[in-house]
Amino acid sequence: MDFPSSLRPTLFMTGPLGLSDVPDTSFMCSWRDALTLPESLPQNSKNGVPHLPKGLLWEPDTPGPLPFLPPGPDPWDPGLTAQDLLFRGAPKFRRQPQAVLDVTEQFSRFLWDHGDIAFASLGKLMLENFKLEGARSYSKKKTVVSVKRILEDLGGHQPWGCPWAYFSHRQRRFSLLGDPILGKSVSNLLGELLYEELAMRWEQLLLDDAFTGGALAWLPGRTPRIRQLVYPAGGALDKLYFQEVRLTPGNDPRILGNPGHIQLRGPVRQVVTCAVQGESLLAVRSDYHCALWKVSRQGRPAPLQVLKVEKGAMGINLSPHLPGELVVCSRSGAVCLWTPHDGLQQIYKDPETLVFRDPSPWRWADFTAHPRVLTVGDRTGVKIIDTQGPPGCGLLLFRVGAEASCQKGERVLLTQYLGECGPDSLQPTLHLICTQFSLYLMDERLPLVPVLKWDHSLPSAPLLAQLLPPPRPGCARPLLLGGQGGQLQLLHITGEGASTPRLAGPPQSLPSRSDSLSAFPLLEPRSQWQLQERLQAPTIGLAATILSSSPTPVLSLFQLSAAGDVFHQRLHLREDPRLPSDPRPNCHAPTASWSPQATACCRRWLKALLEVPPAPPVWAAPTFSHRRLLSFKEQQKVEGKVPEGLRAAMAQGRLLQQRDLGLLPTAEPPPGPEPGPKDELSERLEAAWEGPMAAWWEQQQDRTSGPGRQPKRHKRRMQLSNTFSSLSGHLDLSGATSPPHSPDWTSPVSRPRSPVTLPSQELTQDLWAQGIPSERQQTLQRTLRDCTAELPPHRDTPEGATAPSSQTSSIWATPSRQQVRVLSGSQPHRKKPRMGF
Amino acid sequence: MSDFSEDLLRPTAEDDPAETSVRPRSGMCLPWLQKQVESVATRGKKEKDFAQTTSACLSFIQEALLKHQWQRAAEYMHSYLQILEDSDSNKRQAAPEISLQHALYLLHHGMFDDASRNLSQAETWRYGEKSSSQEALINLVQAYKGLLQYYTWSKKKKELSELDEDDYAYSTASQNMFKHSWKTSTNFSALIQTPGVWDPFVKSYVEMLEFYGDQDGAREVLTNYAYDEKFPSNPNAHVYLYNFLKREKAPREKLISVLKILYQIVPSHTLMLEFHRLLRKSDKEEHHKLGLEVLFGVLDFAGCTKNMTAWQYLAKYLRQILMGSHLAWVQEEWNSRKNWWPGFHFSSFWAKSDWKEDKALAYEKAFVAGILLGKGCRYFRYISKQDHQDLRKKFKRMKKLVKKHSIVNPGP
Repeated sequence: MDFPSSLRPTLFMTGPLGLSDVPDTSFMCSWRDALTLPESLPQNSKNGVPHLPKGLLWEPDTPGPLPFLPPGPDPWDPGLTAQDLLFRGAPKFRRQPQAVLDVTEQFSRFLWDHGDIAFASLGKLMLENFKLEGARSYSKKKTVVSVKRILEDLGGHQPWGCPWAYFSHRQRRFSLLGDPILGKSVSNLLGELLYEELAMRWEQLLLDDAFTGGALAWLPGRTPRIRQLVYPAGGALDKLYFQEVRLTPGNDPRILGNPGHIQLRGPVRQVVTCAVQGESLLAVRSDYHCALWKVSRQGRPAPLQVLKVEKGAMGINLSPHLPGELVVCSRSGAVCLWTPHDGLQQIYKDPETLVFRDPSPWRWADFTAHPRVLTVGDRTGVKIIDTQGPPGCGLLLFRVGAEASCQKGERVLLTQYLGECGPDSLQPTLHLICTQFSLYLMDERLPLVPVLKWDHSLPSAPLLAQLLPPPRPGCARPLLLGGQGGQLQLLHITGEGASTPRLAGPPQSLPSRSDSLSAFPLLEPRSQWQLQERLQAPTIGLAATILSSSPTPVLSLFQLSAAGDVFHQRLHLREDPRLPSDPRPNCHAPTASWSPQATACCRRWLKALLEVPPAPPVWAAPTFSHRRLLSFKEQQKVEGKVPEGLRAAMAQGRLLQQRDLGLLPTAEPPPGPEPGPKDELSERLEAAWEGPMAAWWEQQQDRTSGPGRQPKRHKRRMQLSNTFSSLSGHLDLSGATSPPHSPDWTSPVSRPRSPVTLPSQELTQDLWAQGIPSERQQTLQRTLRDCTAELPPHRDTPEGATAPSSQTSSIWATPSRQQVRVLSGSQPHRKKPRMGF
Repeated sequence: MSDFSEDLLRPTAEDDPAETSVRPRSGMCLPWLQKQVESVATRGKKEKDFAQTTSACLSFIQEALLKHQWQRAAEYMHSYLQILEDSDSNKRQAAPEISLQHALYLLHHGMFDDASRNLSQAETWRYGEKSSSQEALINLVQAYKGLLQYYTWSKKKKELSELDEDDYAYSTASQNMFKHSWKTSTNFSALIQTPGVWDPFVKSYVEMLEFYGDQDGAREVLTNYAYDEKFPSNPNAHVYLYNFLKREKAPREKLISVLKILYQIVPSHTLMLEFHRLLRKSDKEEHHKLGLEVLFGVLDFAGCTKNMTAWQYLAKYLRQILMGSHLAWVQEEWNSRKNWWPGFHFSSFWAKSDWKEDKALAYEKAFVAGILLGKGCRYFRYISKQDHQDLRKKFKRMKKLVKKHSIVNPGP
């Protein structure tokens, strides 16, 4: 392999990061031009001027990406936001504005919403001092409290968590007695746990590293033009879809048929594909499991191995050199290599971070140009380790420190091996390292000194990157960088043979999904907000290809959002002979506009999106028990039809309807359509034109004094019925028996099965529903029912996929060594055997 | 760009213990934290209006640049120049850095005179007390000036080579050159002592020293550049030293010792094949053994799998070594590779593709495969089954040699 004969000058400093006394000379290695010494000048001038940067620009066809697949049938909820966690009103005397995690508010909310969790365990602890049965026995010690009546009081009168509720004497006494014990221990114990949880959630909100590497990838399909897009979908991202796509340079990509899918037992976090020596491999990372498939030429995956990572899997990568080799690392700092020959072997273990102490358990591992040498990374640096050498030793490739002129607080967020051998490619020894500020290219033969540094200034964490092949021979290679917030940047990297890699032309930002908002029709605020939220969902996958056969190369860019949406955009390469520094006035990129097809596509997608029922609320308002009140009222005589109807409706917990209220509607006729201001104006103008203006005015005065209250009353009535409908709707939804959050809720992943005893065939509805909380099951079932009732059979709803075709399924169900089955989406929904995670 | 979130969220002593700061516990700095915090209205002193405006302006410039809207960026830049009003001394100190950047730009675009003028200006820039960071920068500026002088020197050298030695013009020209080189050496020497990667400077400096016959000076510079532990491990430093020693016709032993270090840093370097040749020619047995190790080492790397010369050398050397009955050496090398070389080099996929692309390479590889894996291995079987007119004779010999020398079933 050629090594650059002359490297760019760089100052080399050792020491911690953020030194103030160090000049930042990183611009010297981000310079896009090669420094040529006179001796090598004549050679360069021979083959023209290849080093002059061309104004490479990828022009988007549309101002933003378009939805590629219809929205999934499951509702999506954006989850926590900063507003949920931060404290709003800081004391006035504070000099600087300060946002703090609002523990007090969160704690009080927790006690309200999850009182059962907060207090039940304490109740159990104190059980022996309680007397649960109600029979009075005076002989017992005074220390034993009879609980039956207290519980009755609580159950009957006490609205769940309402502090203004009526207190019985008994409750009051209990409260006074129990307060010193219950109050303190609950708040101490829970407060601490809650604080920890809050801090964790907040950090997760700022940086969610679970999807590092991305969960969208390409697999080769039947022909070179037809490929498969692999991505997770479903509300919990636990279904791995295989969608065939036909890519042609001249047209938009086309979806071919229904996607096949594999049901997994945990959310998919990372999807990696690799083609080595003609074999295609697919690896998937979930929170605690990894799986590896071999994909046949026809595009059918056959499982090879499932790995269980008890401490939590952090990063997987497939070997670009040897088919089937997989490296995986765990949160505990262990790195394992799986090979078809030798199985799983731990090759590195270090619970500490590499350079300095950092609490993050994030770890990453990747391959290098040597098939038996790997990189191991954490937030503080990246190390090269020889799997065949003595354990524990290695060489630091990258150090978060003065060596790379790192800033204070800078941390590694992503590392990726860019190696790929070929006549027209970069050196196969390059590694990409991204931090929150910059992007570094490291050559494994020159450790610690970045060969290229570029400040990307992305406003979110760059967790996705992809190096693409050159659009045409001799051209720079595009490097795509994706931020979690959806921002995309494209850089051009050149440096074949013996020259150092450098940027060719200025980097470019590509449109993000939120730029597509203008393609959608304007909606009423709530739906608009829903759409906006959906478009702003974090990007969790990036897959691009270059179609180079047409006159201008086309970049086909797919992105996957956390809501499970796949968006697509096409960009054309424009090679501008002018230098980017050319100060010509018209030298800016032309702006693309929405085509009628694009807006139609968006409208169709939006229609399907709005038909998806909204996610069930995380928190439900307290419910009031009316049982006792109603029975108490039973003895009294009920007079009149209205109270009776009201009472009946209340007792049954249903919507109060007009016929229940009897005469009420006839007393006040429904309000007629109000005359609009335009009518009034034209009337007035007409009157003014004809003369009797004063008469019109008088008439107008009468009208306002008479039925003036009518619109108001109409409004109030509307509010009343709204309250009722929402109340009854709510009762119906949450189910009276199940609490909003059942405490024994566990995710399917947190009770994993051993990879060897995978349940495959005998999976039934019960097992399917095992990991789903009961109220969610209800919603899911309702969703399904609604879909069948209201929607015409849609291609992507589960029902659409149930058209049974036994032929395809028999082809798909490939036998395997691990007794694991892979299935297509064309089998009935319920009976689907799944590959177990 | 200054980071305001840093200032905003610095934990203060007056913090209420019940409240928790939003800064991540890890000490990680998140540039997008500020946006999140701003989404919730907080009371207190906001950042300075001026700072707000300039940071907004900077983000507009960035956006325009990333969208290749140069005209718009220039307009914003015009407003951004207001930042010079900033009283922050950190920003003023960066002035030589900016000059250096500009000079580099000019340098890369062949505008040497402008670059030189710019560098001279940067050199004299002072702001406040001279800090060590500024000193390093000024050293760098001087080195670049030296490089520019080297350019003119090298141009003159070229002119000189075209002149007759007896000419009057020759002596003035050579005097001129001498003056230049003296100036340049002072410019380079300060920077070269500072740890860093100074390839172009060292290269130019050594060339000038060598031209004037200062071999010892050149050797000292190169040795220091290669072996000083404060410097990063730079393969080029060893390459330069090796090339210098080769020009000097240093003894083989010396050359081997230099390349041995390069072998430890970059076993895939192109010079390794030259290293192998040196080792093969050496009289020492340990060098012969190392020669085999080096060849195996080169072929371990993904970028070298199709290196025809390396395969040729390995095939030839294996035969030579096995004939010299050093089977143990081969086995030692093979043991650490036997579980992955078959898949990496000798799979049936490679057999097919190598045969299609490069028959000579396939032949050499098949021979090595036969030796290492026996004649039953897929690669050897596939290639030896191919019928090719020109290679028929060669194949016959290969089969015979494999049968005789293969390490799988050592011959009688």
